[in-house]
Amino acid sequence: MLSIIKLRLLSLRDNYIVFVIMTAMALGFTAIFGISFNSYKPSVIIVDEDNTSYSKEFIEELKLNKTFKFIDSDKETATQRVEEGNAFVALVINEGFHDSIENKNEVTIGQIKVKDDTFILSLQETVRGIITKMAGSERIAKVTADFVSAQKPSVDKEKIKTSAYINMMDSWKFKNPLIINSTVANTNIQSGYDGMKQQMIGFSVFFSMYTMVFSIGIILSDKRYKTWDRMLISPVSMSSILGGTMVVSFLVGIMQMSVLILGGKYLFGIDWGNSIAGIMTVTTVFVFAVTSFGLMLSGIVKTEAQLGAIAPVVLTSTSMLGGTMWPLEIVNNKALLFLAELTPQKWAMQGMLNIASKGMGFEAAIMPSIVLFIMGIIFFTIGVKLVKR
Amino acid sequence: MLKVDNLYKNFGNIRAVDGISFEVKRGEIFGLLGPNGAGKSTTISIISTLIPPTKGQILFEGESIFENPKNIRQNLGIVPQDIALYPTLTGYENLKFWGNLYGLKGAELKKRINEVADIIGLNGRLKDKVEKYSGGMKRRLNIGAALLHQPELLIMDEPTVGIDPQSRSHILDTVLKLSAAGITIIYTTHYMEEAEALCTRICIMDEGKIIASGTQQELVELVKEKTQISIKLDNISDNMPQIFKEIPGVFDAAILDDTVTLFGENGDILLAEIISKVSEENSKIQSIDIQKPNLEAVFLHLTGKALRD
Repeated sequence: MLSIIKLRLLSLRDNYIVFVIMTAMALGFTAIFGISFNSYKPSVIIVDEDNTSYSKEFIEELKLNKTFKFIDSDKETATQRVEEGNAFVALVINEGFHDSIENKNEVTIGQIKVKDDTFILSLQETVRGIITKMAGSERIAKVTADFVSAQKPSVDKEKIKTSAYINMMDSWKFKNPLIINSTVANTNIQSGYDGMKQQMIGFSVFFSMYTMVFSIGIILSDKRYKTWDRMLISPVSMSSILGGTMVVSFLVGIMQMSVLILGGKYLFGIDWGNSIAGIMTVTTVFVFAVTSFGLMLSGIVKTEAQLGAIAPVVLTSTSMLGGTMWPLEIVNNKALLFLAELTPQKWAMQGMLNIASKGMGFEAAIMPSIVLFIMGIIFFTIGVKLVKR
Repeated sequence: MLKVDNLYKNFGNIRAVDGISFEVKRGEIFGLLGPNGAGKSTTISIISTLIPPTKGQILFEGESIFENPKNIRQNLGIVPQDIALYPTLTGYENLKFWGNLYGLKGAELKKRINEVADIIGLNGRLKDKVEKYSGGMKRRLNIGAALLHQPELLIMDEPTVGIDPQSRSHILDTVLKLSAAGITIIYTTHYMEEAEALCTRICIMDEGKIIASGTQQELVELVKEKTQISIKLDNISDNMPQIFKEIPGVFDAAILDDTVTLFGENGDILLAEIISKVSEENSKIQSIDIQKPNLEAVFLHLTGKALRD
């Protein structure tokens, strides 16, 4: 097997350009999309129909988010502007907002929108966060006021409640450790959409697949040069030939993903979260699954030209399904979501995004890694059978 | 050394090898002669364990190659018909890789690469990438890759296809040197003159069958009373062989390039008839060659067609 590994490494000398181009494409696309996201501020119209201190406070909190440009308006104008495409969404703070916060009722914020997209997803998370914060503060203030007034009935309960509420809201602003813990707990790990991370991970997954698939596709060039048959009649077994080829393709994949992860960190300042072990585990199993997928494709087609024609179609379509180009949260179609489950990209994205964007730990890597490993075994088994034909 | 017994190979409905049997003795150059599509390469692929037979047995040193393929693989050098090398690697890197596959390494491998480079005459060019080599040099390196592990049995499948006369001559010399060094060689070709120059024994194959076998002398004995006449014409029609076959005493006739080859009895008498027929066909004779019977004549006699049809 060692001789096959040496041969494949020698062959890389002439094929390194694929590695360089695909790495540069992933970083380049992330940069382009990242810059676009940073300079562009989508407009959000706010319609305040509640017009209370709570609704005003909610709007103030919203305006702290610099991702969006907020414009106050009435409902009629808001509808018109969304229809004309001058704003991508209007948030309607319905009458009764104050009561809902105060009385622990469900808070409903209306939306006027034309379609779902990643901005709306991000905005929804922001809104959910603010409301959770306000409702939480309100509850704590109420409990505090009840407690103090029970201890000392002579105090002004309402005054204590207001004071406690203001203090609570202030404490969120200064980001003390309590706030950090509360944020994580209250968002129930469902929030955390980060466009830059989505793109970095998405493009890394997408472009690295090309390198890996074409790297294992070297088997087809062996067949073209007739060296495949010559190897098969040597004392080296078919398992060693395939094993050696897989090892090098796997190493190439790991190297590229590592370059992309480090590139993301140092070029774009991406925080990969709290579990680098989790990220690397998902990455490793993903590379195994994709290398095996490449082996299967190389077994299905007969020539490098056929691989060159089929691979981009298969990789692009499965990447679209798997959520490398947009978050799957905006996809509603059940059939598409079911198909997404069958792609390695979906599981790699899920594992890495859960760790990098949602602050989850190593546990977030376990299920995606198991699924990717099973996929890899299935692809590998089919691939070996097809290549041996 | 190698015994092929009642070998069959079918590809779907096509029977590529049709019940052939032969034996190769240690130290000889054994020729498999036949036109394209005769089944030579399929036979070679089965002997080299690349494809299984439909039926039959092959014994190498008394042991079935299908039950224990490792034995023959370690002792077999194969020069495939196609150039099976990595064009983007240098000649040296190619030899090193193929040597590695057979378990050679370190100083031993280096020594063998130098020895093989001497044999194939590429000593000064091993640092160049194979894609820069001429066709003849690639062919020679293709042979070299099969020699590194000092095989007992060397199979050369049409090793001179598509190369210049100088490289061809070098390869034929190399084959003789290898044989002199004690390597047993199976040599397949559709060039009659190569088989005549190299082989100690020859099997003639056609349409998957062995139609004759023996030494060159034994084969030519089959047609020793006959004469072979080759007529080069300026205008040759497809029905020319049929016209010549109508001449009493002509057994067979076939076209090869711009030459009609006849096979008959009493060449002197036939000549006048042949010239007359050519004249009737409004063609002009450019040259006539009356030869002693050779393997081409044997093939023509046995199959009724030219060897390179």
